[in-house]
Amino acid sequence: MTTPSPILSVRHLTTRFRTDRGIVTAIDDVSFDLYPGETLGIVGESGCGKTVTSKSIMRLLPERTTIIDPSSQIMFEGTNLATADDRTMRRIRGDRIAMIFQEPMTSLNPVFTIGWQLDEALKYHTDLGRAARRSRAIEMLKLVEIPNAERRVDEYPHQLSGGMRQRVMIAMALCCEPDVLIADEPTTALDVTIQAQILALMENLRKRLNTAIILITHNLGVVAQVCDRVAVMYAGRVIEVGGVRRIFHDPQHPYTRALLDSIPKAGRKEHGKRLPTIEGIVPSLFDLPKGCRFADRCARCQPLCRDTEPELLPAEGVGESHLKRCHFPLSQAAPVTSASHAAMTSSPGARP
Amino acid sequence: MIAAFKRLKASRGVGKFCRNRLAVAALGIIVLYALVGGWVALGDLLPGRAGITYAQVEQPVWPTPINGFGIPATNERRVEAARIITREVKRAVNNGEGFTDIRYGLLHILPGTADSDTELDRLSTLIEESEDLYDQLSEFDDLNSPEPPTLDDGAPDPDSIDVPSTIARLEGAVRQMFAPLSGWQSLKQSLLHSLGTDRQGRSNFLRVIFSIKVALQVGIVVAIISVLVGTFLGAAAAYFGGWVDHAVVWLYSTLSSMPELILLAVLVYAFSGSVFDKVSNPWLALVPVYAAMCMEFWIGPCRVIRGETLKLKELEYVQAATAIGFGRFYILLKHVIPNTVHLMFINFSLLFIAAIKFEVVLSFLGLGVKVGPSWGRMIQESTQEVINGIFWQIGAATVFMFVLVLAFNIVSDALQDAFDPKHVG
Repeated sequence: MTTPSPILSVRHLTTRFRTDRGIVTAIDDVSFDLYPGETLGIVGESGCGKTVTSKSIMRLLPERTTIIDPSSQIMFEGTNLATADDRTMRRIRGDRIAMIFQEPMTSLNPVFTIGWQLDEALKYHTDLGRAARRSRAIEMLKLVEIPNAERRVDEYPHQLSGGMRQRVMIAMALCCEPDVLIADEPTTALDVTIQAQILALMENLRKRLNTAIILITHNLGVVAQVCDRVAVMYAGRVIEVGGVRRIFHDPQHPYTRALLDSIPKAGRKEHGKRLPTIEGIVPSLFDLPKGCRFADRCARCQPLCRDTEPELLPAEGVGESHLKRCHFPLSQAAPVTSASHAAMTSSPGARP
Repeated sequence: MIAAFKRLKASRGVGKFCRNRLAVAALGIIVLYALVGGWVALGDLLPGRAGITYAQVEQPVWPTPINGFGIPATNERRVEAARIITREVKRAVNNGEGFTDIRYGLLHILPGTADSDTELDRLSTLIEESEDLYDQLSEFDDLNSPEPPTLDDGAPDPDSIDVPSTIARLEGAVRQMFAPLSGWQSLKQSLLHSLGTDRQGRSNFLRVIFSIKVALQVGIVVAIISVLVGTFLGAAAAYFGGWVDHAVVWLYSTLSSMPELILLAVLVYAFSGSVFDKVSNPWLALVPVYAAMCMEFWIGPCRVIRGETLKLKELEYVQAATAIGFGRFYILLKHVIPNTVHLMFINFSLLFIAAIKFEVVLSFLGLGVKVGPSWGRMIQESTQEVINGIFWQIGAATVFMFVLVLAFNIVSDALQDAFDPKHVG
């Protein structure tokens, strides 16, 4: 089996911020590949660096306070986006790599019609004439299933609902047929029925246009629904990457396991029990532990975990397709400990 | 465009605004001012055919001051006026030049007919009669509350004249020296005299109307330039950050740390003696005022719009625009600044009023308008008159300025009530 070459290859991406309290490393040595036409999910809890990763790829972070480590590589068609100049980035943004944002309410400029905004993007990236751009804009709105596209194209964002606006955002992102679409929590601000529609729409468009999608979310349900592969992030590091089935059925990292456990499941016969949560808090990025970053909250923590940080290595018996960053992955027998057993147990139900 | 107008007409805000009778009246007043100002400005483009020119407002409409606001003139002033006119007419008759000029505004002094002997005889008789009456009246020490002259023994002089009727005869004689006025001309004349004249006999009405143009001119030019400069600098400072921001903030902090009026005065003064003092075009003569005010007034919009841009640039549509691939300058112009347009309008209305008021203050200090009238100059020129209880010049200038400023404030309040969704009430 020959694996196709990745369209976007992120290697050792390290992004630091200058802050009042000194330099903080927001994401540290993040590596993953994105293949044409696939959907890669990036999951993790708030503040783990999902958005920083996506904005680093697009170079959307404020230049003055951001340092992308020179050793970082974001290879896209032979160009290293981490070091590319402004001109190159402007050509790639929107045209080759597009992005949609979390908050549809503020993602469109309130003073211009959506047609104007679609037209603006098309004017910048294509040589189409005025009439051709307009028909293309209407066509894109139809593609994202906006009813009455011919009329809607002249409406202002405040005349559209949240779901509509997100569709318009997707239309804007896709109007130049990019190779990569980065969707930063595209459904978080929408209600559940609209969420499903938007996800189905993105899935549909991915198949039609063969666009690779990076889907950033903290919703594992969304990941299970649409992603082909998943990268799990924790405190600025990728801790596990693999196919979505493997991650869901055979997680290797205790953190992934804990995340999966904390999804409410229908029909789980644990009435009277509280939903399991992960005890403790994410370590502060200013004060990271020397060893594994999850050690403090991990039930399987060993002295080794506190001393040395594990590398991102293939899981046993699966090869390169499933990587984990753990000394004692779940596929191995649990190390004998007594000390840190309490951390992972679900707290006994206080309420019926 | 038409669709936008229809939407505006149907919008709730317009209806709310129209229900506010006071605001509609105020808007009417502003429109009236604008129309008058526009018509006055035509004087520079089509001199003699429309509008008012600088030459016209500097011309006396009567040789002596006339009371305004319907205040009756004192006997003394009426006699004095008659004397001066008689003297002027006599001089012209003696020189044989004929009265073809219309120096005194719209009064025609028998143009072109003075060369006929009968006309000259008629005028000479009138002049003699006028001088005679004046001599009789000059026997009274105090014409305003005349006491009949007494004989040596203290008894009233039986030959003494009746003062009011003599003055009436004197004025009748003087009136006959002029050609009769047509209805339109006499209406114009009474309009010109309605607010009185200043000490040089120039019409206060004409000058105060002319000053509308000056005020609107200063207000519009200064407000537009200041808002544009302030918006651009403020938005650029917030959007680019770094040294741009430091420079702009330093500049406006420095300027605003000085007292506003003193800074303005110093800036205008700095321009005096420059080429603008020597230009004869009154439009250019105002450039120092524009420049000084713009250098000061951009701070207001700059601050507000910098704050707004700091908020806007974090919004996702600005980031989305970057993600589409637009350059930073393009995003600033097309995505950031259009979203501050409401602040630009508010600041325009604030600065428009501020510019008019400061023009008055500067002109009062002798630093602002130097050629032609303005409300400030009228107030300044009236200081000597006010001491003598003559208030028409200062009154006219103040009332016209007050009405405009009040109307503008009422309209901007009503606009805010009607269109700001966050404004309750």
